[in-house]
Amino acid sequence: MRTRTALAAAAAAVAVLTAGCSSGGNAGGGQDTGRDSGPVKLRFLSLAWQKESIAANKEIVAAWNTANPDIQVEYVQGSWDNVNDQLVTSFEAGDPPDVIHEDSPALAGFASRGYLLDLAGKLPAELKNDIPQQAWDTVTFGDGKGGQGVYGVPFLQESQVIIGNKKLLDAAKVRVPTPDDPWTWDEFAQISKKLTKGGAFGTAWPLKAPVNKVLTQALNFGGTFFQTDGTKTTVKVGPAEREVLSRIHDQLYKDRSADPSALGMGTADPLPGFYAGKYALLPTGVYLRQQVVEQAPEGFEWVTIPPLKGTTAEQGAISQTLSVAADSEHPEQATSFISYFLNSANQVKLAKGDWLLPTSVKAAADPAMTTKENGWDVATASAKNLVVAPYLKVNGYDEWKSKVATPTLQSYFANKISLDQAAKTLVEEGNQVLERYNK
Amino acid sequence: MRRPLQYLALLGYLFFLAFPLVWLLSTALKTPREMASLDPSWIPRDPVLGNFADAFAEQDLVGAALRSLGVAVATSALAVLLALPAAYALARHRTVLNRFAIGWVLVSQVFPFILIIIPLFMVLRRLELVNTLPGLAIVHVTFVLPFALWMLQGYVRAIPRELEEAAAVDGAGRLRSLAAVVAPLLAPGVVATALFAFISSWNEFLFALVVLKDPDIATLPLTLVKFTGAEGVARLGPLAAASLLATIPSLAFFAIIQRRLRSGLMAGAVKG
Amino acid sequence: MTAGTRRRAAAPPGRPRRPSRPRATRGTARETLLLMLPALVPVLVFSVGPLLYGIYLAFTDARSGRNAETSFVGLANFGDLLADGDFWSSFRIGMVWAISVTVLQFAASLGLALLLNENLRLRGFARVLALVPWAMPPVVIGLMWRLVYHPDAGVLNDMLLGLGLIGDGVDWLNDFSVALPAVIVVGVWTGMPQTTVVLLAGLQSVPRELYEAGHVDGAGTWRRFWNITLPQLRPVVVTITSLDFVWNINQFGLVYVLTQGGPGGRTRLPMLFAYEEAFRYGFFGYAATLGVAIVIVVLAVLGVYLWRQMREAD
Repeated sequence: MRTRTALAAAAAAVAVLTAGCSSGGNAGGGQDTGRDSGPVKLRFLSLAWQKESIAANKEIVAAWNTANPDIQVEYVQGSWDNVNDQLVTSFEAGDPPDVIHEDSPALAGFASRGYLLDLAGKLPAELKNDIPQQAWDTVTFGDGKGGQGVYGVPFLQESQVIIGNKKLLDAAKVRVPTPDDPWTWDEFAQISKKLTKGGAFGTAWPLKAPVNKVLTQALNFGGTFFQTDGTKTTVKVGPAEREVLSRIHDQLYKDRSADPSALGMGTADPLPGFYAGKYALLPTGVYLRQQVVEQAPEGFEWVTIPPLKGTTAEQGAISQTLSVAADSEHPEQATSFISYFLNSANQVKLAKGDWLLPTSVKAAADPAMTTKENGWDVATASAKNLVVAPYLKVNGYDEWKSKVATPTLQSYFANKISLDQAAKTLVEEGNQVLERYNK
Repeated sequence: MRRPLQYLALLGYLFFLAFPLVWLLSTALKTPREMASLDPSWIPRDPVLGNFADAFAEQDLVGAALRSLGVAVATSALAVLLALPAAYALARHRTVLNRFAIGWVLVSQVFPFILIIIPLFMVLRRLELVNTLPGLAIVHVTFVLPFALWMLQGYVRAIPRELEEAAAVDGAGRLRSLAAVVAPLLAPGVVATALFAFISSWNEFLFALVVLKDPDIATLPLTLVKFTGAEGVARLGPLAAASLLATIPSLAFFAIIQRRLRSGLMAGAVKG
Repeated sequence: MTAGTRRRAAAPPGRPRRPSRPRATRGTARETLLLMLPALVPVLVFSVGPLLYGIYLAFTDARSGRNAETSFVGLANFGDLLADGDFWSSFRIGMVWAISVTVLQFAASLGLALLLNENLRLRGFARVLALVPWAMPPVVIGLMWRLVYHPDAGVLNDMLLGLGLIGDGVDWLNDFSVALPAVIVVGVWTGMPQTTVVLLAGLQSVPRELYEAGHVDGAGTWRRFWNITLPQLRPVVVTITSLDFVWNINQFGLVYVLTQGGPGGRTRLPMLFAYEEAFRYGFFGYAATLGVAIVIVVLAVLGVYLWRQMREAD
């Protein structure tokens, strides 16, 4: 017997009332026809959307279905744009997909609401040991009842790198750094200034969605943005947090080495200008390399520049994950499917398809992940800088991000408010938001 | 003197209303490389059909279109069938129910989806209609009904009561007089209402997202968004190609019943 | 039953005389109910039922989650809402959006309807083209306009730069001051077909004799429009503007695809706000309260508007 929420119960009551004397199904939901006969059926909600990535997903599912006639997996393609609505409604109604593709920031909320199965102790040692603890940390959350659990298997990670226009870098005689000897933020600022000439800018910061980008890189200077005192979490914006904020702001308005008109752009929007030489450097996630390869004009040369370094080169890790729904009728089968789906050989295919970094140590050592071609070597090496971002664990982070941090940072980067004002808003209004969750 | 000005104004309007469609067509024919050009051009420099090929190869667009068509046709037929008697009653008899019904029409438009969607999903699950196309059609019917009702009652009201009564006096039975006198006059109104229901259903996204789970029964709007990825990055070429496909049937529909539009789509509704 | 109806018709326009009234009303009421039944059942099951439950939620602290306990909190949510600065700014944006889109839609559509009502060449073709926005799923409309507004590769900046109207590319959807106007333009574009079609229908139902009489009197185009067309059109105008207003204030999908409420919350319409509360943060109760509050405001605005219009029409 599972406990139904008051919501579900009340809505069911409405359903009964309004449906009147419709042929009464059993209270369990009436979906258990054919459970004892035939193969187990699992629904796998995947969010792959790149052509190669969809192909890789389908291929792996097909291989599993051939090898496991008793456990048939149905591949369902969702979309990042609206997966949240889709999941929330089906979780509430108790009819979610068995295996769910999401990303780690979304898991915290789902885990604390009891929607996901705790996978701790249920995964084979081989998979567990193939993925470093740092990545497991990104999927370990409170269960909303005081405990901790592992609510997904992390498999693809994103790091922030810089994509550079090679001709412009060469022309300015700029040192192209290596993962072992990356640019510092100071160096980056100087080089960006050097590259700003003749109407072109050194850098373009597409900060339409500034929060994750800034918070991830704020770790370069130890900026965590949140502090927990016992059970109560509050926002903090001290000197460490201000570093990256003010450095980006300086590039925009003091050095004038970053194009202010790129500020409002989404991640991929500056690419046309980048190809045209309007900006020499484009800080972005590793996955954007795919777009560059597909779209860049004939003869356009580009390089992947490793993550910047402040006092450290650490970045907050965000991983894509596979989870099992708490309401799944076949949790064991779902777990073994995930274990197969994310073995190191498959992770290579998935990482290649999505141009992201595999969590699997073995997969990261695969030649396909370390080739110089298209910057894979630099991208894969950047995985070593990833640490779990403190904000991932903050209950209410999502609301803080969209209600407080996004508008505040947008205003700050648009030079409409000062850093002090921004810091004040982030903290004061932020703590008000978090108050709702600390109850 | 006035005519040229009128043509100019009309041209301006048509440009405003249609240029995004042209831009969509142009995008559908461009290579990813050209799309990333800083100097966009209306006519693709190097037009390709690859986006259409990709779109059709990756997603079951034809199947999705057929399913959308099925749901939309079922929605419009059912909506008209259910709304017609009610519309007749509302237009011909003035009772307390009238105010209630008309009030409901307006109020139903006022209520935001946020109040409805989760409870609605639970009801559907209870009736085992989740993940079925009939389930989606029923939801669509429910949400086009109030407006369809309003449109139709306007059309009924526009038919002079005297005509009906004259037929009745001539000895024709109630139903026969309805069939002989009212039905032909009402036909354009029915077509207009059906069209309204059809388009609403064909375009609808949010309920379809929540109701349908299996990929093999996804409708067209659901299939379209599969070309978009995280952070608003989308595969514009295939998306534009597939979007064109989603737009063409409605446009063709409009073109075919263009004459009906002349007789005044929603003419009745506005006399209500 | 027929007798009752006929008697009423026989003595227009006054009401039926007292003695016959109760019987006729009861009879027609039953018939009305019977005829309305097929339409009422689905509406009750799939619309009224869920809606009542949704309204009930507005008075609870319902949150999403299997661990969540729901309890009745009375008007507490409404109190929170009134004190919520984010709600008020979203509400203000919603009003600016709904009123400007409705007004602009009406003005633009009236112009187009008047043109389409003229005996111009290619009228049929124009009428079909005028319906283009209606033929597109809102998801597609949003994505398409994003292409048009793209600061670098978008066709709008390209055209405006080409015409020399702007010196630099404008980032339409992300600039703090132009984002809302840019979104409003898309709103107007999206809603024009419905409004135009309704107004066109209204124009066509203006009796021709009125114009002929006006012509004889030697009234000019403008005077004819002002003195004949507009008064005749009044009920149509009231209806469609009310509906447009309601549709616009409840707009969600279009703006969600275009801006997701950004930049800095400048296009966060009330429904986007409610959506985030419910689907992202899981506060179902509070989101429902917001929905109810919007309903109350809209009904009040409409009530005043309709009442004034009716009084003026008398």
